[in-house]
Amino acid sequence: MSLLPAPLGPVRPDFLTRVTPAARLVAGMTWLVASVVTLDPVVPVRLTIAALVALVLWSGLPLRRIPSRLAPLGFAILSLTALSILLSGANADRSLAALVQLGPVRVTGPAVSAGLAIGLRVVVIGLTTVLVFGPSDPTRMADSLVQQLRIPDRFAYGTLGAMRVAPFLADEWTLIAAARRLRGIGSGGIGGRIRDIGDRLLVMLVGAIRRAERLALAMDARGFDSGIRRSHFRELRATWRDWLTIATALAIAVAALILPR
Amino acid sequence: MSNVVPIAGTSESARWRTVDIIVVAILAVAFGIVFWAWDVYIWPWASFLTSPAEYAISGVWLLPAVVAPLIVRKPGAALFAEMVAAVISVLLGNQWGLDVLLSGFVQGAGAELIFAFLMYRNYGPIVAALAGAGAGVGEALHDLPVYYASYDVQYRAGIFILDVISAAVIAGIGGWLLVRSLRRTGALGAFPSSR
Repeated sequence: MSLLPAPLGPVRPDFLTRVTPAARLVAGMTWLVASVVTLDPVVPVRLTIAALVALVLWSGLPLRRIPSRLAPLGFAILSLTALSILLSGANADRSLAALVQLGPVRVTGPAVSAGLAIGLRVVVIGLTTVLVFGPSDPTRMADSLVQQLRIPDRFAYGTLGAMRVAPFLADEWTLIAAARRLRGIGSGGIGGRIRDIGDRLLVMLVGAIRRAERLALAMDARGFDSGIRRSHFRELRATWRDWLTIATALAIAVAALILPR
Repeated sequence: MSNVVPIAGTSESARWRTVDIIVVAILAVAFGIVFWAWDVYIWPWASFLTSPAEYAISGVWLLPAVVAPLIVRKPGAALFAEMVAAVISVLLGNQWGLDVLLSGFVQGAGAELIFAFLMYRNYGPIVAALAGAGAGVGEALHDLPVYYASYDVQYRAGIFILDVISAAVIAGIGGWLLVRSLRRTGALGAFPSSR
């Protein structure tokens, strides 16, 4: 049993799964930018609705698994919203009427509005991220980045190789803890626990480097660094679906920003 | 690209060998896992209980941008490592999603500029601290408008100052100490930094 969350599968074929990952990334970035450039909560509300529609109709993702996947983010979003309202500069402005006044704590309308905009911004980013990364696996993402966005291939595929090691690293983290407990290493208190985490991190990194060196040797033995131009096993090309996705996302982002309330 | 197999004598050059790429990528994956746990289980509580003082521990996010260049000593190491760690934390699922790709880019670029300014020749503790601070400036320039746009100006100034100090101390000096510990274990034998 791994410490890491499982990928969001199984994905059934649908419109967004046939769009190349690079196109989904570009489309997602337009929503990210649109939600970040404004403190008007209406913009992230509109983008949240658009993202939910896309998720239900075109993503091919197992919808039942999405709420539990996004649940851990709820606390972070609520906390950021509350803090953005409480620590807002608008609260100190005496010309604004206070919505709430509790001793020294004063909350004004603009503070609430901006706080909601920032909290909803994170909701938009979370849903958009699911739409960008959910419909295909990292291998297809790497293929797409290399072929369409011209990311250097040795770095992209090297990273893909390294990613396969992630579950082993997470297992090793628990294994190191067990080994240390068995030997009676470790100390109490906050300082001691931080030291313990540092020591465990060092052991995990040493293991990671040794594993990386073996992997690099194996990859070189198979000609990874031959210098010969790489051909592609899975050819990816932009299709009308890609351009439609990017154009639609951009149009929605612009509409969300400029349409009157 | 040459098809000459790199040998010991050429390892000081700017060209990335497979072992450089894979070691940086795997270290970044390890940091990405740490980031994910940090993002989901530690940061929200630190933020909720102490904001904006939580930025005193924000330097943890910048460790790959200092650790990777200190180990492989290649141009681009800070940016590559920070981006990979960012991608991993996104794929595992954190509250900032796609936006972490932007964070990773500006953080990595901040450290990269410092190493580039020194022509990729100096990797001592002072340079490490400066590179950490550079990454911290990048982090603050991204986080302030995106997440703290409504905060009062004194809190925003506090976030900036804490971020840069934390970056220099935790990522810079901490990263340098971590690489020194790694070197002492003998794990870095494949790299010029161990000689």
